[in-house]
Amino acid sequence: MTADHWTFVIAAYGLAAVVLGGYWRRLVRQERAVRAGSARRQSRR
Amino acid sequence: MMVPMLGWLAMLAIGGGLVMGFGIAPREVTQGSVQRIMYVHVPFAWVAYLAFAVVFVASIAYLWRRSAAADRVAHASAEAGVVFTGLAIATGSIWGKPTWGTWWTWDARLTSVALLFVLYLGYLMLRGMIEDRERGARYAAVLGIIAALDIPLVHFSVFWWRTLHQPPSIRPGSAAMPGVILAALLVNVVAFTLLYAYFVAKRSRVLRLAEEMPA
Amino acid sequence: MTYARHAWIILWKDIATERRRKETLNALLFFSVLLLFVFEFTLGGDRDRLTAALPGLLWLGFILAGLLALGRSFLIERENDCWEGLLLGPGDKSAIYVGKLAGNLLVMAAVEVVVLALFGVFFNVDVWSALPGLVLVGVLGTIGLAAMGTTFAAMTAQVRARELLFPVLLLPLQVPLLLGCVKATEAVLNGEGLGSVLHWVQLLAAADLIYVVVGVLTFEFILEA
Repeated sequence: MTADHWTFVIAAYGLAAVVLGGYWRRLVRQERAVRAGSARRQSRR
Repeated sequence: MMVPMLGWLAMLAIGGGLVMGFGIAPREVTQGSVQRIMYVHVPFAWVAYLAFAVVFVASIAYLWRRSAAADRVAHASAEAGVVFTGLAIATGSIWGKPTWGTWWTWDARLTSVALLFVLYLGYLMLRGMIEDRERGARYAAVLGIIAALDIPLVHFSVFWWRTLHQPPSIRPGSAAMPGVILAALLVNVVAFTLLYAYFVAKRSRVLRLAEEMPA
Repeated sequence: MTYARHAWIILWKDIATERRRKETLNALLFFSVLLLFVFEFTLGGDRDRLTAALPGLLWLGFILAGLLALGRSFLIERENDCWEGLLLGPGDKSAIYVGKLAGNLLVMAAVEVVVLALFGVFFNVDVWSALPGLVLVGVLGTIGLAAMGTTFAAMTAQVRARELLFPVLLLPLQVPLLLGCVKATEAVLNGEGLGSVLHWVQLLAAADLIYVVVGVLTFEFILEA
Protein backbone atom coordinates (compact mmCIF):
# COMPACT_ATOMS: atom_id res chain seq x y z
CA MET A 1 0.00 0.00 0.00
CA THR A 2 1.26 3.47 -0.76
CA ALA A 3 1.98 6.00 1.98
CA ASP A 4 -0.98 7.98 3.15
CA HIS A 5 -0.01 11.69 3.04
CA TRP A 6 -3.11 12.82 4.93
CA THR A 7 -1.41 16.09 5.79
CA PHE A 8 -1.32 17.05 2.13
CA VAL A 9 -5.01 16.36 1.72
CA ILE A 10 -5.82 18.50 4.74
CA ALA A 11 -3.50 21.22 3.47
CA ALA A 12 -5.21 21.31 0.07
CA TYR A 13 -8.75 21.35 1.42
CA GLY A 14 -7.80 23.74 4.20
CA LEU A 15 -6.21 26.17 1.77
CA ALA A 16 -9.27 26.02 -0.46
CA ALA A 17 -11.56 26.69 2.50
CA VAL A 18 -9.47 29.61 3.72
CA VAL A 19 -9.15 31.26 0.32
CA LEU A 20 -12.75 30.76 -0.80
CA GLY A 21 -14.06 31.74 2.61
CA GLY A 22 -11.81 34.76 2.64
CA TYR A 23 -13.01 35.90 -0.78
CA TRP A 24 -16.60 35.42 0.28
CA ARG A 25 -16.04 37.50 3.42
CA ARG A 26 -14.51 40.20 1.22
CA LEU A 27 -17.58 40.23 -1.01
CA VAL A 28 -19.89 40.47 1.98
CA ARG A 29 -17.85 43.32 3.43
CA GLN A 30 -17.84 45.16 0.08
CA GLU A 31 -21.59 44.86 -0.27
CA ARG A 32 -22.15 46.09 3.26
CA ALA A 33 -19.87 49.07 2.67
CA VAL A 34 -21.54 50.03 -0.59
CA ARG A 35 -25.03 49.73 0.89
CA ALA A 36 -24.00 51.75 3.93
CA GLY A 37 -22.46 54.40 1.70
CA SER A 38 -25.57 54.81 -0.42
CA ALA A 39 -27.87 54.74 2.61
CA ARG A 40 -25.88 57.56 4.14
CA ARG A 41 -26.22 59.57 0.97
CA GLN A 42 -29.96 58.91 0.78
CA SER A 43 -30.50 60.09 4.32
CA ARG A 44 -28.49 63.23 3.71
CA ARG A 45 -30.90 64.40 1.03
CA MET B 1 -33.73 36.96 -3.42
CA MET B 2 -31.98 34.85 -6.00
CA VAL B 3 -28.43 35.49 -4.93
CA PRO B 4 -28.54 34.20 -1.36
CA MET B 5 -30.43 31.15 -2.58
CA LEU B 6 -27.63 30.50 -5.03
CA GLY B 7 -25.20 30.76 -2.14
CA TRP B 8 -27.10 28.25 -0.04
CA LEU B 9 -27.41 25.90 -2.98
CA ALA B 10 -23.67 26.09 -3.50
CA MET B 11 -22.98 25.37 0.18
CA LEU B 12 -25.32 22.39 0.03
CA ALA B 13 -23.65 21.04 -3.07
CA ILE B 14 -20.19 21.53 -1.58
CA GLY B 15 -21.31 19.63 1.49
CA GLY B 16 -22.55 16.87 -0.76
CA GLY B 17 -19.26 16.91 -2.60
CA LEU B 18 -17.31 16.53 0.65
CA VAL B 19 -19.47 13.61 1.67
CA MET B 20 -18.93 11.96 -1.67
CA GLY B 21 -15.24 12.72 -1.75
CA PHE B 22 -14.46 11.47 1.74
CA GLY B 23 -17.32 9.26 2.76
CA ILE B 24 -18.61 7.47 -0.25
CA ALA B 25 -15.76 7.35 -2.72
CA PRO B 26 -13.27 4.61 -1.95
CA ARG B 27 -9.60 5.05 -1.15
CA GLU B 28 -7.70 4.88 -4.39
CA VAL B 29 -5.22 2.03 -4.61
CA THR B 30 -2.24 3.47 -6.44
CA GLN B 31 -2.13 6.98 -5.01
CA GLY B 32 -3.72 6.56 -1.60
CA SER B 33 -5.56 9.34 0.15
CA VAL B 34 -3.74 12.02 -1.79
CA GLN B 35 -5.92 11.25 -4.77
CA ARG B 36 -8.83 12.86 -2.92
CA ILE B 37 -7.30 16.25 -3.64
CA MET B 38 -8.55 15.70 -7.18
CA TYR B 39 -12.07 16.31 -5.90
CA VAL B 40 -11.21 19.98 -5.44
CA HIS B 41 -8.36 20.41 -7.89
CA VAL B 42 -10.26 19.30 -10.99
CA PRO B 43 -13.34 21.46 -10.22
CA PHE B 44 -11.06 24.45 -9.60
CA ALA B 45 -9.33 23.95 -12.94
CA TRP B 46 -12.69 23.57 -14.66
CA VAL B 47 -14.01 26.80 -13.11
CA ALA B 48 -10.77 28.55 -14.06
CA TYR B 49 -11.49 27.93 -17.73
CA LEU B 50 -15.24 28.48 -17.39
CA ALA B 51 -14.62 31.87 -15.83
CA PHE B 52 -12.45 32.92 -18.75
CA ALA B 53 -15.04 31.72 -21.23
CA VAL B 54 -17.52 33.96 -19.43
CA VAL B 55 -15.07 36.86 -19.57
CA PHE B 56 -14.77 36.24 -23.31
CA VAL B 57 -18.50 36.19 -23.97
CA ALA B 58 -19.20 39.14 -21.67
CA SER B 59 -16.41 41.14 -23.33
CA ILE B 60 -17.88 40.57 -26.77
CA ALA B 61 -21.32 41.44 -25.42
CA TYR B 62 -19.98 44.68 -24.01
CA LEU B 63 -18.28 45.83 -27.21
CA TRP B 64 -21.30 44.84 -29.25
CA ARG B 65 -24.12 46.17 -27.07
CA ARG B 66 -22.31 48.46 -24.62
CA SER B 67 -24.20 46.71 -21.85
CA ALA B 68 -22.94 47.84 -18.46
CA ALA B 69 -24.19 44.57 -17.02
CA ALA B 70 -21.93 42.63 -19.41
CA ASP B 71 -18.97 44.70 -18.27
CA ARG B 72 -19.75 43.99 -14.62
CA VAL B 73 -20.06 40.27 -15.29
CA ALA B 74 -16.72 40.26 -17.11
CA HIS B 75 -15.05 42.04 -14.21
CA ALA B 76 -16.64 39.79 -11.60
CA SER B 77 -15.84 36.65 -13.55
CA ALA B 78 -12.20 37.67 -13.90
CA GLU B 79 -11.95 38.18 -10.16
CA ALA B 80 -13.55 34.86 -9.33
CA GLY B 81 -11.47 33.32 -12.09
CA VAL B 82 -8.18 34.44 -10.63
CA VAL B 83 -9.18 33.05 -7.22
CA PHE B 84 -10.08 29.65 -8.61
CA THR B 85 -7.07 29.54 -10.93
CA GLY B 86 -4.74 30.28 -8.03
CA LEU B 87 -6.38 27.54 -6.01
CA ALA B 88 -6.16 25.14 -8.95
CA ILE B 89 -2.42 25.75 -9.14
CA ALA B 90 -1.95 25.50 -5.38
CA THR B 91 -3.97 22.30 -4.97
CA GLY B 92 -2.28 20.85 -8.02
CA SER B 93 1.08 21.62 -6.50
CA ILE B 94 0.10 20.15 -3.13
CA TRP B 95 -1.07 17.03 -4.91
CA GLY B 96 2.08 16.89 -6.96
CA LYS B 97 4.55 16.98 -4.10
CA PRO B 98 3.81 13.54 -2.62
CA THR B 99 2.91 12.13 -6.01
CA TRP B 100 5.88 13.25 -8.13
CA GLY B 101 8.21 14.38 -5.38
CA THR B 102 8.30 18.00 -6.51
CA TRP B 103 6.21 21.12 -5.88
CA TRP B 104 6.30 22.18 -9.47
CA THR B 105 7.04 20.78 -12.90
CA TRP B 106 6.87 22.68 -16.15
CA ASP B 107 4.63 20.14 -17.75
CA ALA B 108 1.87 21.00 -20.19
CA ARG B 109 -1.15 21.27 -17.92
CA LEU B 110 0.49 23.09 -15.02
CA THR B 111 2.21 25.54 -17.34
CA SER B 112 -1.03 26.25 -19.19
CA VAL B 113 -2.90 26.93 -15.97
CA ALA B 114 -0.06 29.12 -14.73
CA LEU B 115 -0.32 31.17 -17.93
CA LEU B 116 -4.07 31.40 -17.45
CA PHE B 117 -3.37 32.85 -14.02
CA VAL B 118 -1.00 35.40 -15.50
CA LEU B 119 -3.57 36.38 -18.13
CA TYR B 120 -6.15 36.98 -15.40
CA LEU B 121 -3.70 39.08 -13.43
CA GLY B 122 -2.92 41.20 -16.48
CA TYR B 123 -6.62 41.74 -17.07
CA LEU B 124 -7.24 42.82 -13.49
CA MET B 125 -4.13 44.97 -13.54
CA LEU B 126 -5.38 46.79 -16.63
CA ARG B 127 -8.77 47.37 -15.02
CA GLY B 128 -7.12 48.68 -11.91
CA MET B 129 -5.00 51.16 -13.81
CA ILE B 130 -7.59 52.99 -15.86
CA GLU B 131 -9.62 55.54 -13.95
CA ASP B 132 -12.18 56.36 -16.60
CA ARG B 133 -14.93 53.79 -16.24
CA GLU B 134 -16.02 53.67 -19.86
CA ARG B 135 -12.52 53.44 -21.25
CA GLY B 136 -11.59 50.84 -18.66
CA ALA B 137 -14.56 48.72 -19.67
CA ARG B 138 -13.71 49.06 -23.36
CA TYR B 139 -10.01 48.22 -22.99
CA ALA B 140 -10.72 45.36 -20.61
CA ALA B 141 -13.19 43.95 -23.11
CA VAL B 142 -10.58 44.06 -25.90
CA LEU B 143 -8.03 42.39 -23.63
CA GLY B 144 -10.58 39.82 -22.50
CA ILE B 145 -11.22 38.82 -26.09
CA ILE B 146 -7.55 38.70 -27.05
CA ALA B 147 -6.56 36.72 -23.96
CA ALA B 148 -9.37 34.21 -24.42
CA LEU B 149 -8.37 33.64 -28.04
CA ASP B 150 -4.83 33.09 -26.85
CA ILE B 151 -5.77 30.25 -24.52
CA PRO B 152 -6.14 27.54 -27.19
CA LEU B 153 -2.87 28.70 -28.75
CA VAL B 154 -1.16 28.40 -25.38
CA HIS B 155 -2.62 24.94 -24.96
CA PHE B 156 -1.36 23.55 -28.21
CA SER B 157 2.04 25.13 -27.94
CA VAL B 158 2.66 24.10 -24.36
CA PHE B 159 1.32 20.61 -24.96
CA TRP B 160 3.59 20.05 -27.91
CA TRP B 161 6.46 21.41 -25.93
CA ARG B 162 6.07 19.14 -22.90
CA THR B 163 3.93 16.23 -21.94
CA LEU B 164 4.36 14.72 -18.52
CA HIS B 165 0.98 15.27 -16.95
CA GLN B 166 -1.55 12.55 -16.60
CA PRO B 167 -4.04 12.19 -19.39
CA PRO B 168 -7.21 14.17 -18.74
CA SER B 169 -9.28 12.65 -15.96
CA ILE B 170 -12.56 12.73 -17.81
CA ARG B 171 -12.42 11.16 -21.20
CA PRO B 172 -15.68 10.35 -22.95
CA GLY B 173 -16.23 6.65 -23.27
CA SER B 174 -13.15 5.65 -21.32
CA ALA B 175 -13.52 3.22 -18.46
CA ALA B 176 -10.41 4.62 -16.75
CA MET B 177 -12.29 5.76 -13.67
CA PRO B 178 -14.68 3.70 -11.58
CA GLY B 179 -18.21 5.10 -11.50
CA VAL B 180 -18.22 6.17 -7.86
CA ILE B 181 -15.10 8.29 -8.25
CA LEU B 182 -16.49 9.84 -11.41
CA ALA B 183 -19.76 10.59 -9.63
CA ALA B 184 -17.96 12.21 -6.71
CA LEU B 185 -15.93 14.30 -9.13
CA LEU B 186 -19.01 15.48 -10.99
CA VAL B 187 -20.82 16.45 -7.80
CA ASN B 188 -17.84 18.55 -6.80
CA VAL B 189 -17.60 20.12 -10.25
CA VAL B 190 -21.25 21.17 -10.06
CA ALA B 191 -20.81 22.39 -6.49
CA PHE B 192 -17.91 24.68 -7.25
CA THR B 193 -19.51 25.89 -10.44
CA LEU B 194 -22.45 27.00 -8.30
CA LEU B 195 -20.05 28.69 -5.91
CA TYR B 196 -18.41 30.49 -8.83
CA ALA B 197 -21.82 31.64 -10.09
CA TYR B 198 -22.64 32.91 -6.60
CA PHE B 199 -19.38 34.84 -6.44
CA VAL B 200 -20.00 36.40 -9.84
CA ALA B 201 -23.57 37.35 -8.96
CA LYS B 202 -22.54 38.92 -5.67
CA ARG B 203 -19.56 40.79 -7.15
CA SER B 204 -21.63 42.11 -10.07
CA ARG B 205 -24.21 43.36 -7.66
CA VAL B 206 -21.61 45.20 -5.60
CA LEU B 207 -20.29 46.77 -8.82
CA ARG B 208 -23.79 47.85 -9.82
CA LEU B 209 -24.54 49.34 -6.42
CA ALA B 210 -21.24 51.19 -6.49
CA GLU B 211 -22.05 52.63 -9.92
CA GLU B 212 -25.52 53.72 -8.89
CA MET B 213 -24.13 55.68 -5.99
CA PRO B 214 -24.20 59.36 -6.86
CA ALA B 215 -20.59 60.53 -7.16
CA MET C 1 -8.99 58.88 -48.45
CA THR C 2 -8.67 55.20 -49.07
CA TYR C 3 -7.79 52.77 -46.35
CA ALA C 4 -4.44 51.90 -47.91
CA ARG C 5 -3.53 55.53 -48.35
CA HIS C 6 -4.38 56.31 -44.76
CA ALA C 7 -2.17 53.46 -43.54
CA TRP C 8 0.62 54.54 -45.86
CA ILE C 9 0.53 58.10 -44.57
CA ILE C 10 0.88 56.85 -40.98
CA LEU C 11 3.81 54.66 -42.00
CA TRP C 12 5.50 57.37 -44.02
CA LYS C 13 5.13 59.92 -41.23
CA ASP C 14 6.83 57.56 -38.78
CA ILE C 15 9.63 56.73 -41.21
CA ALA C 16 10.24 60.40 -41.92
CA THR C 17 10.27 61.26 -38.22
CA GLU C 18 12.68 58.46 -37.45
CA ARG C 19 14.93 59.40 -40.32
CA ARG C 20 15.23 62.90 -38.98
CA ARG C 21 15.70 62.07 -35.30
CA LYS C 22 17.43 58.71 -35.67
CA GLU C 23 16.99 58.02 -32.00
CA THR C 24 14.94 54.84 -31.86
CA LEU C 25 16.86 52.69 -34.28
CA ASN C 26 20.29 53.71 -33.07
CA ALA C 27 19.41 53.11 -29.45
CA LEU C 28 17.90 49.72 -30.28
CA LEU C 29 20.96 48.63 -32.23
CA PHE C 30 23.20 49.71 -29.39
CA PHE C 31 20.94 47.80 -27.00
CA SER C 32 21.31 44.68 -29.13
CA VAL C 33 25.07 44.88 -28.94
CA LEU C 34 24.85 45.23 -25.18
CA LEU C 35 22.63 42.16 -25.03
CA LEU C 36 25.44 40.21 -26.60
CA PHE C 37 27.66 41.16 -23.70
CA VAL C 38 24.97 40.20 -21.20
CA PHE C 39 24.49 36.79 -22.78
CA GLU C 40 28.23 36.17 -22.87
CA PHE C 41 28.74 37.20 -19.27
CA THR C 42 25.81 35.25 -17.90
CA LEU C 43 26.17 32.07 -19.93
CA GLY C 44 29.50 32.21 -21.69
CA GLY C 45 31.47 30.33 -19.08
CA ASP C 46 30.40 27.02 -20.51
CA ARG C 47 30.75 27.13 -24.29
CA ASP C 48 28.49 24.15 -24.89
CA ARG C 49 25.79 25.49 -22.64
CA LEU C 50 25.80 28.77 -24.52
CA THR C 51 25.69 27.08 -27.89
CA ALA C 52 22.77 24.92 -26.80
CA ALA C 53 20.92 27.98 -25.54
CA LEU C 54 21.49 30.06 -28.67
CA PRO C 55 18.07 29.68 -30.31
CA GLY C 56 16.45 30.72 -27.05
CA LEU C 57 18.89 33.59 -26.56
CA LEU C 58 18.24 34.82 -30.07
CA TRP C 59 14.53 35.10 -29.41
CA LEU C 60 15.13 36.47 -25.95
CA GLY C 61 17.08 39.23 -27.62
CA PHE C 62 14.32 39.84 -30.16
CA ILE C 63 11.68 39.99 -27.45
CA LEU C 64 13.64 42.35 -25.23
CA ALA C 65 14.34 44.66 -28.13
CA GLY C 66 10.71 44.30 -29.15
CA LEU C 67 9.45 45.35 -25.73
CA LEU C 68 11.47 48.51 -26.01
CA ALA C 69 10.68 49.26 -29.63
CA LEU C 70 6.99 48.35 -29.64
CA GLY C 71 6.22 50.11 -26.38
CA ARG C 72 7.14 53.34 -28.12
CA SER C 73 4.74 52.87 -31.03
CA PHE C 74 2.56 55.78 -30.05
CA LEU C 75 5.11 57.81 -28.18
CA ILE C 76 5.19 60.57 -30.76
CA GLU C 77 1.45 61.04 -30.75
CA ARG C 78 1.31 60.98 -27.00
CA GLU C 79 4.19 63.36 -26.37
CA ASN C 80 3.17 65.91 -28.93
CA ASP C 81 -0.48 66.05 -27.96
CA CYS C 82 -1.50 64.42 -31.20
CA TRP C 83 -3.53 61.74 -29.50
CA GLU C 84 -6.80 63.59 -30.07
CA GLY C 85 -5.78 63.89 -33.70
CA LEU C 86 -5.74 60.13 -33.94
CA LEU C 87 -9.10 59.82 -32.22
CA LEU C 88 -10.83 62.42 -34.34
CA GLY C 89 -9.40 61.45 -37.71
CA PRO C 90 -11.78 60.33 -40.43
CA GLY C 91 -12.22 56.88 -41.82
CA ASP C 92 -11.51 53.46 -40.47
CA LYS C 93 -9.25 53.74 -37.42
CA SER C 94 -7.76 50.33 -38.07
CA ALA C 95 -5.81 51.89 -40.96
CA ILE C 96 -3.75 53.56 -38.26
CA TYR C 97 -3.09 50.15 -36.77
CA VAL C 98 -1.93 48.78 -40.11
CA GLY C 99 0.37 51.74 -40.67
CA LYS C 100 1.85 51.50 -37.20
CA LEU C 101 2.23 47.74 -37.53
CA ALA C 102 4.10 48.13 -40.80
CA GLY C 103 6.43 50.65 -39.20
CA ASN C 104 7.05 48.37 -36.25
CA LEU C 105 7.78 45.45 -38.56
CA LEU C 106 10.41 47.51 -40.37
CA VAL C 107 12.07 48.53 -37.11
CA MET C 108 12.03 44.98 -35.77
CA ALA C 109 13.38 43.61 -39.05
CA ALA C 110 16.30 46.01 -38.94
CA VAL C 111 17.12 45.14 -35.35
CA GLU C 112 16.78 41.41 -35.92
CA VAL C 113 19.04 41.40 -38.94
CA VAL C 114 21.71 43.12 -36.90
CA VAL C 115 21.28 40.80 -33.92
CA LEU C 116 21.47 37.78 -36.18
CA ALA C 117 24.65 39.08 -37.79
CA LEU C 118 26.16 39.77 -34.37
CA PHE C 119 25.30 36.26 -33.20
CA GLY C 120 26.91 34.89 -36.31
CA VAL C 121 30.12 36.77 -35.67
CA PHE C 122 30.46 36.72 -31.90
CA PHE C 123 28.95 33.35 -31.06
CA ASN C 124 30.16 31.57 -34.13
CA VAL C 125 26.74 30.63 -35.39
CA ASP C 126 26.47 29.50 -38.97
CA VAL C 127 23.74 31.92 -39.90
CA TRP C 128 24.39 31.96 -43.61
CA SER C 129 23.59 28.34 -44.46
CA ALA C 130 20.44 28.39 -42.37
CA LEU C 131 19.36 31.78 -43.66
CA PRO C 132 16.13 30.95 -45.55
CA GLY C 133 14.73 29.03 -42.59
CA LEU C 134 15.83 31.71 -40.16
CA VAL C 135 14.22 34.41 -42.23
CA LEU C 136 10.92 32.55 -42.42
CA VAL C 137 10.82 31.89 -38.69
CA GLY C 138 11.90 35.44 -38.02
CA VAL C 139 9.13 36.85 -40.15
CA LEU C 140 6.48 34.63 -38.59
CA GLY C 141 7.58 35.33 -35.06
CA THR C 142 7.96 39.05 -35.57
CA ILE C 143 4.53 39.52 -37.15
CA GLY C 144 2.90 38.02 -34.07
CA LEU C 145 5.05 40.06 -31.70
CA ALA C 146 4.45 43.32 -33.53
CA ALA C 147 0.73 42.70 -34.04
CA MET C 148 -0.05 42.42 -30.35
CA GLY C 149 2.68 44.87 -29.45
CA THR C 150 1.02 47.58 -31.51
CA THR C 151 -2.38 46.84 -29.97
CA PHE C 152 -1.13 46.98 -26.41
CA ALA C 153 1.03 50.02 -27.09
CA ALA C 154 -2.13 51.88 -28.07
CA MET C 155 -3.99 50.54 -25.07
CA THR C 156 -1.33 51.46 -22.56
CA ALA C 157 -0.45 54.80 -24.16
CA GLN C 158 -2.66 56.76 -21.80
CA VAL C 159 -2.18 54.60 -18.75
CA ARG C 160 -0.19 55.69 -15.70
CA ALA C 161 2.29 52.83 -15.39
CA ARG C 162 2.53 52.04 -19.09
CA GLU C 163 6.14 50.81 -19.00
CA LEU C 164 5.09 48.16 -16.50
CA LEU C 165 1.71 47.26 -17.90
CA PHE C 166 2.88 46.89 -21.49
CA PRO C 167 5.24 43.94 -20.95
CA VAL C 168 2.84 42.39 -18.46
CA LEU C 169 0.12 42.30 -21.09
CA LEU C 170 2.32 41.38 -24.04
CA LEU C 171 4.53 38.61 -22.67
CA PRO C 172 1.89 35.99 -21.78
CA LEU C 173 0.49 36.29 -25.27
CA GLN C 174 3.95 35.73 -26.70
CA VAL C 175 4.35 32.32 -25.10
CA PRO C 176 2.96 30.26 -27.99
CA LEU C 177 4.99 32.30 -30.45
CA LEU C 178 8.11 32.04 -28.34
CA LEU C 179 7.83 28.27 -28.00
CA GLY C 180 7.27 27.87 -31.72
CA CYS C 181 10.01 30.24 -32.79
CA VAL C 182 12.63 28.74 -30.51
CA LYS C 183 11.80 25.20 -31.54
CA ALA C 184 11.81 26.10 -35.21
CA THR C 185 15.03 28.12 -34.93
CA GLU C 186 16.63 25.20 -33.13
CA ALA C 187 15.65 22.86 -35.95
CA VAL C 188 16.95 25.25 -38.59
CA LEU C 189 20.28 25.88 -36.85
CA ASN C 190 20.80 22.16 -36.26
CA GLY C 191 20.39 21.51 -39.94
CA GLU C 192 17.16 19.57 -39.57
CA GLY C 193 15.19 22.02 -41.64
CA LEU C 194 11.68 23.32 -41.19
CA GLY C 195 10.07 20.11 -42.40
CA SER C 196 10.75 18.51 -39.05
CA VAL C 197 8.92 21.27 -37.20
CA LEU C 198 6.07 21.84 -39.61
CA HIS C 199 3.45 21.78 -36.85
CA TRP C 200 5.26 24.65 -35.12
CA VAL C 201 5.40 26.65 -38.33
CA GLN C 202 1.68 26.11 -38.80
CA LEU C 203 1.04 27.23 -35.22
CA LEU C 204 3.05 30.39 -35.82
CA ALA C 205 1.14 31.13 -39.01
CA ALA C 206 -2.20 30.53 -37.28
CA ALA C 207 -1.21 32.72 -34.34
CA ASP C 208 -0.09 35.49 -36.67
CA LEU C 209 -3.38 35.37 -38.53
CA ILE C 210 -5.39 35.52 -35.33
CA TYR C 211 -3.32 38.31 -33.81
CA VAL C 212 -3.36 40.52 -36.90
CA VAL C 213 -7.07 40.04 -37.56
CA VAL C 214 -7.96 40.68 -33.93
CA GLY C 215 -5.62 43.65 -33.87
CA VAL C 216 -7.31 45.18 -36.89
CA LEU C 217 -10.83 44.48 -35.66
CA THR C 218 -10.36 45.75 -32.12
CA PHE C 219 -8.36 48.89 -32.88
CA GLU C 220 -11.41 51.11 -33.34
CA PHE C 221 -12.50 50.24 -29.80
CA ILE C 222 -9.16 51.36 -28.44
CA LEU C 223 -9.19 54.66 -30.27
CA GLU C 224 -12.76 55.65 -29.59
CA ALA C 225 -13.20 59.32 -28.97
